[in-house]
Amino acid sequence: MNDPDGASGTLLGMRCLKCGVCVFGDAIFCQACSSDELEAVDLSSSGVLFSYTIVRVPPDGWPGPVPYVLGEVELPEGPHVLAEVIGMEHADLQIGKEVRLALEPVQSGETGPTLMVYKWAPSAIPTASRQEG
Amino acid sequence: MTQFKPNREVVVVGVGLHPFGRFRGKDLATLAREAVVEALKDCGVRWRDIPVAYFGHVYYHGMSVGETALGSLGLTGIPIVNVENACSSGSTAFWQAYWGITSGVYDLALAFGAEKVPGGPVTVTAADSPERYIGGDHMMAGYALRMRRYMEETGAPASALAQISVKARQNAALNPYAHRKETYTVEDVLSSRPIADPLTLFQCCPTSEGSAAAVLCAREVLGSYGLDESRAIKVVAAALTSGNYNGRGSDHSAFSPYRTEPAALAAYEMSGLGPEDVDLVQVHDAATIGELQQIESLQLTPKGEAWRATVEGRTALTGDIPVNTDGGLLAMGHPFGATGIRMVHETVTQLRGEAGARQVNNPRVGVAQCSGAGDVTTVQIFAR
Repeated sequence: MNDPDGASGTLLGMRCLKCGVCVFGDAIFCQACSSDELEAVDLSSSGVLFSYTIVRVPPDGWPGPVPYVLGEVELPEGPHVLAEVIGMEHADLQIGKEVRLALEPVQSGETGPTLMVYKWAPSAIPTASRQEG
Repeated sequence: MTQFKPNREVVVVGVGLHPFGRFRGKDLATLAREAVVEALKDCGVRWRDIPVAYFGHVYYHGMSVGETALGSLGLTGIPIVNVENACSSGSTAFWQAYWGITSGVYDLALAFGAEKVPGGPVTVTAADSPERYIGGDHMMAGYALRMRRYMEETGAPASALAQISVKARQNAALNPYAHRKETYTVEDVLSSRPIADPLTLFQCCPTSEGSAAAVLCAREVLGSYGLDESRAIKVVAAALTSGNYNGRGSDHSAFSPYRTEPAALAAYEMSGLGPEDVDLVQVHDAATIGELQQIESLQLTPKGEAWRATVEGRTALTGDIPVNTDGGLLAMGHPFGATGIRMVHETVTQLRGEAGARQVNNPRVGVAQCSGAGDVTTVQIFAR
């Protein structure tokens, strides 16, 4: 999180100092070469849609609206990050389209706490004026 | 990648199958036992001669279900191993049985699997995993991501993918064990209920219940058990791999579409055979796109061209590379623990020439390939 409200933030990753492979999230060992010499890195907040799907039958535990768009986003550092795509008309979805990170509150499970969850949003629209799609 | 040093020649002598579908009144152990009894009858091996058994299943029905299922045949005190390896649980049980014999530890082994998969979308993670509220844990959504990417990269039309389901049902219509036997058209497939675009309902395998079993034997001891050598089918390769996508993707991502390739290459190396030797194939078609990427990983067509082979009819029963001859996951259904051994059942039945109305013309070499979460992949090659 970059601010007290948790409305913006940065995805964290780990980069291998031996082979250079970068992963999304925490890691103790490099997944490519098993080295334990890793450094924490801030991942880019923008990436491109590698693929996407409009999920019309959600899995158990999905707390959001249906249908929802699931996007696989390729970051410049290499990792592919799956998350909901928000604020985009279905007709505007396209492989190769640039998207950027957004954070939104989500109820975790039926009785769990509300958590800030990473999502993908159109890169052109600023967070404050985002429309739900 | 040389990771296999087989020693003794192993053959499958008996196979058994319980129909796939819904059997509400039958518990998992009963379901499993019925396929085992069929496999023992198929070869004439006595239960009391089986020295080891491996049981594939995923969903929890109490502990040691393998022991419950087999104990009902008589308590013989043998080692029974319960195997969970996602959708490849059954084929992993088979892999273990194979290595138990080729290593010289056992002369005979039983591999069996059963499942009662609940309805609805299949998830991989635990119920409290963050993946659930992030929205990324949805098996068919993962296949949809792969399908969209494949169509973009290869130009494959939606109708080519739908044709895979049409073929699956045509094959299943000739198979009394299949969960879904009604045939339909490409238009029916494309207009069925959307699940995760571009996947429609008829392009997703049904979640099912069922069981399958195989009895394996060292060829050198066939005579001492009085077994029929003419119906024995040789196992010429059994490979098992897990995921290696450099941490950049995940189980459900479209990144690295040819994850089956390492197991395929290992199996070809182990068998001394190549794609040009293969006469029929059973692959993991949990969704239509799966069949295309498995065919290409097995190098049966160039990458990006399996959809053309489908449209041209090459993967049909009468084609030059018949794929999923019993209906595959798309029409047989997919009881996880049973699926991998169901593929063995179909391959052995075809190589014996006993597949009846869906018999492929004179096959000599068959491949069975199964995929599961964790990128667990098995490739087995059989020959007569």
